[in-house]
Amino acid sequence: MSLLNVDNVTHRYPTTVSALPVLNGVSLDVEAGSVVAVVGESGCGKTTLGRLVVGLVKPMTGEVRYEGKDIWALPKREWEVYRRSVQVVHQDPYSSLNPGLTVEGTLKAALLHHHIVRRNEVRAELFRLLDLVDLEASASFLRRYPHQLSGGQRQRLVIARAMGLRPRLVVADEAVSMLDVSMRVSVLDLLLSMRSEQQLAYVFISHDFGVVRYFARTGRILVMFFGVVVEEGPSEQVITHPRHPYSFVLLDAIPVPDPTLARRRRSEATMQAEERVTGEPATTGCVFSNRCPYVEDKCRHEAPPLVEVVPGQDHRAACWFPERVPDLRSLVEASLPGLGAEVGGAQDGNAREGSADDATSGNGPSPAWFGLAGDGRAHTIAPGAQPS
Amino acid sequence: MGPGVIPAGRPSVDGNLPVVEVSNLTVNFGRLKAVEQVSLSVSMGEVCALVGESGCGKSTLAYSLLNLVPPPGVITSGDVRFRGRSIIQMSRKDLNALRAVDVAIVFQAAMNALNPVITIGRQVDHILRAHDGVFRTQREGREYFEHLLRLVRLSPERVWSSFESRLSGGMKQRVSIALALLLRPSVLVLDEPTTALDVLNQRLVIDILRDLHDTLGMTIVFVTHDLALVAELAQRVAVMYAGRLVEVATVEEIFYARRRHPYAKALIEAIPSVMGDRALIRSIPGQVPNLLELPTGCRFTPRCPQARPVCHEAEPPLLADPHNHLVACYVANDELEGVMVAP
Repeated sequence: MSLLNVDNVTHRYPTTVSALPVLNGVSLDVEAGSVVAVVGESGCGKTTLGRLVVGLVKPMTGEVRYEGKDIWALPKREWEVYRRSVQVVHQDPYSSLNPGLTVEGTLKAALLHHHIVRRNEVRAELFRLLDLVDLEASASFLRRYPHQLSGGQRQRLVIARAMGLRPRLVVADEAVSMLDVSMRVSVLDLLLSMRSEQQLAYVFISHDFGVVRYFARTGRILVMFFGVVVEEGPSEQVITHPRHPYSFVLLDAIPVPDPTLARRRRSEATMQAEERVTGEPATTGCVFSNRCPYVEDKCRHEAPPLVEVVPGQDHRAACWFPERVPDLRSLVEASLPGLGAEVGGAQDGNAREGSADDATSGNGPSPAWFGLAGDGRAHTIAPGAQPS
Repeated sequence: MGPGVIPAGRPSVDGNLPVVEVSNLTVNFGRLKAVEQVSLSVSMGEVCALVGESGCGKSTLAYSLLNLVPPPGVITSGDVRFRGRSIIQMSRKDLNALRAVDVAIVFQAAMNALNPVITIGRQVDHILRAHDGVFRTQREGREYFEHLLRLVRLSPERVWSSFESRLSGGMKQRVSIALALLLRPSVLVLDEPTTALDVLNQRLVIDILRDLHDTLGMTIVFVTHDLALVAELAQRVAVMYAGRLVEVATVEEIFYARRRHPYAKALIEAIPSVMGDRALIRSIPGQVPNLLELPTGCRFTPRCPQARPVCHEAEPPLLADPHNHLVACYVANDELEGVMVAP
């Protein structure tokens, strides 16, 4: 039995003006101790799905089950247990903390409400929690207010608040997107470490495949587009072999931390960015058809079902032509190992020697990158090309 | 001149004259120095990135480019010149004529800066009326704005009569960029232009900024904490740490050169990417020091994996190699062979 299921849920807010519901027949299974990532652009319904899992939104049709029981039919006592066991970390640590409460006040209220610890043990528990999230476990820190904390510290406090309730499932809704890049990895590491210690499951919501790959490496990914799950499968599988064009578009949009590769990809841009972003979802046929580069007549009339695309891999996509979607590898060609080395800074072996000279005198990319140019593509960067 | 000074007025590597020159700039917030002894020049048509974590002073430096440092911040020493004219000494009247006309800024979260109770069109009219010398007629100004909207890939018909609440976050960000460009500035400053946007809108803004640079020859200075964005957009990069410049280099040097600041390297390694090897991603331990309790010596020492005893003693000078690649690090500069150019 899964820890939590979302079963064929359709939801529309009273204020929804679009013809499409916010969620349209979405299903999601979370096993105990597993990670499920939900990926999609702003407004695709990921946050609504998260709110549904936490029990903040009651779906119009479909069921949300915790340990096999419909959460909206739970008796009060079991509802309390469910609400305690499923916690949320919101996107914005600036608005998810009460500015009038100290660190102590923030952490203490829920602990006492749910009778997690006895009143005389609260202090020790607070220190334990602060220590758990790498915050300073001191009396003076407990007296601080949110405005005295940095963004990373606030998010750690939010995590401590959630962890204090001994949850079994945490919904992390864009938990790191408001943080500096340098802080992101450490907060992700923190969340991952909790997982292994406490058999915790995560629903990890994000728009950034890079972050998702880091976090959900052994988990599953669900790609959503305007309320519809368009692809679902094991994390590495979806990232390296996407089988829905939307997943590929999301992967393609991520900025790469490598100027040579960025420039090379720029010249190969196959789709106009505006179409990728502004194409409205289609109300008939495939929801993605207005933006899809591979669209055919069939797509405009008939919505594709979410079916298995790779036999035995538990990898499903809702696309009539999944074989047309290129692999991630096509974005970088043979450069995967090379890029890894560059990003990792282990570049002594293959990077330029005495390189500052070449860079400023306009000799273009390093020899290591020339090796990649012979990949048979039409647009490769010419030697001596200047950054545009 | 102390260490870390690039001689003012010297043409940059590509021979273009600088448009904006910052020399020895220090900005104080009370005792705290948010920007300390920073010198930087941006040449015509260049795309320059200011990089660093929150609290490194990069936004403050960007505001100084328009003499817009918010109180209680005060520019206590140094100068900022636009085409040779000091904007620090400028009268209020001259400043008003310069801001938005010569140098424009798109603030962080600029999408929240649009007036919610009047249409975008009315806001454009207000700007045109405040700067009535820029276009011959109001109509000409409006037409130019429509042109700009098309450049940022928005439909003029839709945007002109819209209230901001009818636009998505990504659209508002693009409207803000078009508004900043309205008075034909030659320099555009953007503070965190893609933060708070999703990946697709971020890609769109990157493409638009590149287009602006290519078609209008716009000089762009942008602030970011994300080195992936730098790789996509910038030609030159200035890395700031705790109020000081620690490295100034071309984008290639930042990413590939052997001699570079450990902080720049750490920032690059912290990016979770879909392509690189996951095992090589690592966070930067610790955090930016409190600017009132700075460690002695190099400010990065407490977080630096390569720190040596000398690093704890004195602040390392910003030294250039023959190609004007500046690094302020004892360890990195130790490897600098041949002539050391004391700038």
